[in-house]
Amino acid sequence: MPKIVLEHVTKRFNKFTAVEDLNMVIEDREFIILLGPSGCGKTTTLRMIAGLETPTEGKITIGDTVVFDSEKKVNLSPAKRDIGFLFQNYALWPHMTVHQNIAFGLENLKWPKAKIDERVKEMLAMLKIEEFDKRYPAELSGGQQQRVAIARTLAPKPKVLFMDEPLSNLDAKLRLEMRIELKRLHTDTDSTFVYVTHDQLEAMTLSSRICLIKNGFLQQYDPPMETYSNPANLFVADFVGNPSMNFIDAKAKITGEKTAEVTFFGKKFVFQSSRALGKLSSEDAVVGVRPEFVHLKKGDLNGKVYGTLPSGMETTVKLDIDGYILTSVEFGNVDYKLHSDMAFSIEGDGIILFDRESTKNIGKGSVKPA
Amino acid sequence: MAERTIMPSGNRLRTYFSKPANIITIAFLFILIMTVVLPLGTLLLGSFKVNGNQEAIYLGRDVQDGDFTINHWKELLTSKDFSYAKIKFWIPLGQSTLMALIACAVAVIFGGVVAWFITRSDLPGKKFISTVFVFPYIMPSWSMAMFWENFFKNTAINAGKGMLQAVTGICVPESMVYGLFPCAMSLGLHYAPFAYILIGGILRNMDANLEEAATVLKASRFKILYRVTLPIVMPALISTVLLVFSSSISSFTVPFFLNKSSINSGNNFIAISVQMRSLINTGFTKGQGYVLAIILMLFSIAILTVNNYITGSRKSFTTVTGKSGQVSLVKLGKARTPITIIILILVGFFAIIPMFSFAAESLLEVPGDFSTITLRYWLSGEPFEGSNKGDTIGILRSVFMWKALGRTLLLSFIVSMIAGTFGILIGYAVARKRGSRAATLVSNLAFLPYLIPSMSFGAVYLALSYTKGFTWLDGSFILLIMVGSIKFMPFASRTGTSAMLQLSGEIEEAAIVIGVPWWKRMTKILFPIQKSSFISGYLLPFISCMRELSLFVLLVPSFQTLATTMLQEYSRTGLSQSSNAINLLIIVVVLIIQFTVNKLTGASIDKGVGGN
Repeated sequence: MPKIVLEHVTKRFNKFTAVEDLNMVIEDREFIILLGPSGCGKTTTLRMIAGLETPTEGKITIGDTVVFDSEKKVNLSPAKRDIGFLFQNYALWPHMTVHQNIAFGLENLKWPKAKIDERVKEMLAMLKIEEFDKRYPAELSGGQQQRVAIARTLAPKPKVLFMDEPLSNLDAKLRLEMRIELKRLHTDTDSTFVYVTHDQLEAMTLSSRICLIKNGFLQQYDPPMETYSNPANLFVADFVGNPSMNFIDAKAKITGEKTAEVTFFGKKFVFQSSRALGKLSSEDAVVGVRPEFVHLKKGDLNGKVYGTLPSGMETTVKLDIDGYILTSVEFGNVDYKLHSDMAFSIEGDGIILFDRESTKNIGKGSVKPA
Repeated sequence: MAERTIMPSGNRLRTYFSKPANIITIAFLFILIMTVVLPLGTLLLGSFKVNGNQEAIYLGRDVQDGDFTINHWKELLTSKDFSYAKIKFWIPLGQSTLMALIACAVAVIFGGVVAWFITRSDLPGKKFISTVFVFPYIMPSWSMAMFWENFFKNTAINAGKGMLQAVTGICVPESMVYGLFPCAMSLGLHYAPFAYILIGGILRNMDANLEEAATVLKASRFKILYRVTLPIVMPALISTVLLVFSSSISSFTVPFFLNKSSINSGNNFIAISVQMRSLINTGFTKGQGYVLAIILMLFSIAILTVNNYITGSRKSFTTVTGKSGQVSLVKLGKARTPITIIILILVGFFAIIPMFSFAAESLLEVPGDFSTITLRYWLSGEPFEGSNKGDTIGILRSVFMWKALGRTLLLSFIVSMIAGTFGILIGYAVARKRGSRAATLVSNLAFLPYLIPSMSFGAVYLALSYTKGFTWLDGSFILLIMVGSIKFMPFASRTGTSAMLQLSGEIEEAAIVIGVPWWKRMTKILFPIQKSSFISGYLLPFISCMRELSLFVLLVPSFQTLATTMLQEYSRTGLSQSSNAINLLIIVVVLIIQFTVNKLTGASIDKGVGGN
């Protein structure tokens, strides 16, 4: 069963480094999402695993086969890697009908004709596109094209499936629908999925693990909830979650193995971590507070209402604390008068303490007024 | 639609004409009807009437100048007297068709293969190859023919020593030097860069993911090529074939240069375009010449219709967009060095050696004999032997030559200014009024001159200049400007349209809102944004005009008018040194202008033709 291992994989285009010394293990049947801002090297990583791009250095193993090794000069062609690839723009062949598109891969495997037809029918039914069998891609809507592309990719039953932003060309409603379909497909097909996106919500909702990349460097490789609640550094904390985490500049002093004294908004607090605190390079720190940990209307902190954004189920409230804009989320539909005074507190055990200089997460816990 | 019922009609008209795009559409509809439709009508009419007294006498049976007759059609297509129709029409037609087919094959295969290597493989030296490869297209179309002659001619066929004989002593048979085969090869090589630009453009724009998807699904490299790549570039391939075919079959200069076969060699080749000129120039068969012009045009129009039918099918090949940035290039591996060498040799042979050959030919008193080297065809101040033209042999000291070159430059400049500006204006109108019937008509009419063979187009205007009320145009410089501007407008209007379509309407609307007048919007906003595309729209007509002969050959008052017509005259009278010298001069001038413009503005001819 395929387990994908990347060891010291590096890719340079002339002087520009797209991926730097990437080490990663993708377990069998995982749903891995490569997440990051555009141009961070995630698509390049995916294409390197698939064999569409040649790494400059490193070693890639799929299952028991070494598919790429820069030292031993191994480089298997994509055709020999037993993979499926779903492209962002679907890459359906415009001159072939839906049927021909799906059957093409099976023909290459020299399946008998009857078996091909049977499999194509099966795929059409599975993706609910039976009626488009004889149509050309140009005669289909975006969502239908997407389904055809998925059918074409899945038809030869690949053990590993790579997807490069497959939902980014769909409208919001369709995207939501397809997300569920993809998650179901993952379970149904019993294969490993590696998926590239820049949409953190997609990553949160679909994946079994998120691999977050920035400028070619791996930032964090963890299950989505872990990435959300215990981000490795400021970049991850900022990238994951919507509305994003509040970063409050603070002065910190470590006072015990798990405690620190932090000062922000002109007040002193005690930070109680659930694990041993990491190293603090100087007294400059950042307190990371997810909006759901900011509770309004009572507490010893005060700010002014800067704006409210009700969205039906929840309301995002922005507070102005002497020029610092703090975000909080409240359940339900609430509205506050602009510029009115507002008391609030920071409660919960998911407060993160970051070191300003290294941007690293050095502790997770709660804050209490000193 | 409610507005329409409420608004009084006068007001509606005023609203309509308050938009510059509408004024331009109407103005160009008028201009194009006058310059394209009307002359075509004159030509059609000319093929059905008696043109001049000579023709009337020839036809006999008491017909008069201007009478209606179907005799031109009947005689040229069916007359059996001395096999007239067969010799004058059917055989030339058949031979020209064969020539055009071979030329297509050469152009598409050579150009297409190089395009594939440049866009899809890790071939080294791509920049050099792609720069040099377009040289033959920048050169006048007969350059390849001249080079072919310079290279293969030999003393065994009484033609002087060519390069091949000088170096190896090999004498090739006459059919390799003159006639159908060399014509087809020269045309094919001339249009190979054109095919390269068109096919390369499609390959570059074609989503590489389409091929990668097939790779992942375990298709072999060969299977990808014939099941995915070829079918997808097929429309571009067919367009290229059709355009090369229609240009080749109507090409006049190449068959004109290479039809020096000895009469009884069995290698006699009269191309249909050469036939047309001789018919038109013979006073009493003008009408038959017009018939040929119309038939050549029908060919082109039929070809365009086929082209539109193929590209307009429901498979819709136009949707070839996507992230093409991430193309994985095919590794040539061990074949890399040999392929590079072969391509470099071929490209060098057809793009660089010709220039040396022109230089060498212009320097040798006796072709192929390097002991007779002389500069007199460039610099001598002596008059021509036995001629009373009062001209000097050395073309650089010839007043006639400098005047002709000056006139050619002036003509090309004016033509490119008119064609380029018209192109931009048409582009603007078409982009702003997208889908409206008038705009579509303007855009089609503006492309029509491309499909009319140069010779036919010349014939069209010749016919016009013989028409009552237009005789003042006969032999005038204005006529040359008109013909050139209209004939070279299609590429300018195509570049102009695609450049304008890339600009969203909002860019201009942002300026309208703050009250910037139309003229300023064009010159200060739209033009600067798409500068290099628009300038390409000026560059291509300029270059095309500089090296054009067939279009003007029927219309110039004397052979001394233009550099190209002088070249043709020298070649006809056997002064090959001078014609080679003029050819080299034209190529050098064109290349210098092309590279200067390219360096200064980023405009290039492949942008003009439709590549990237």
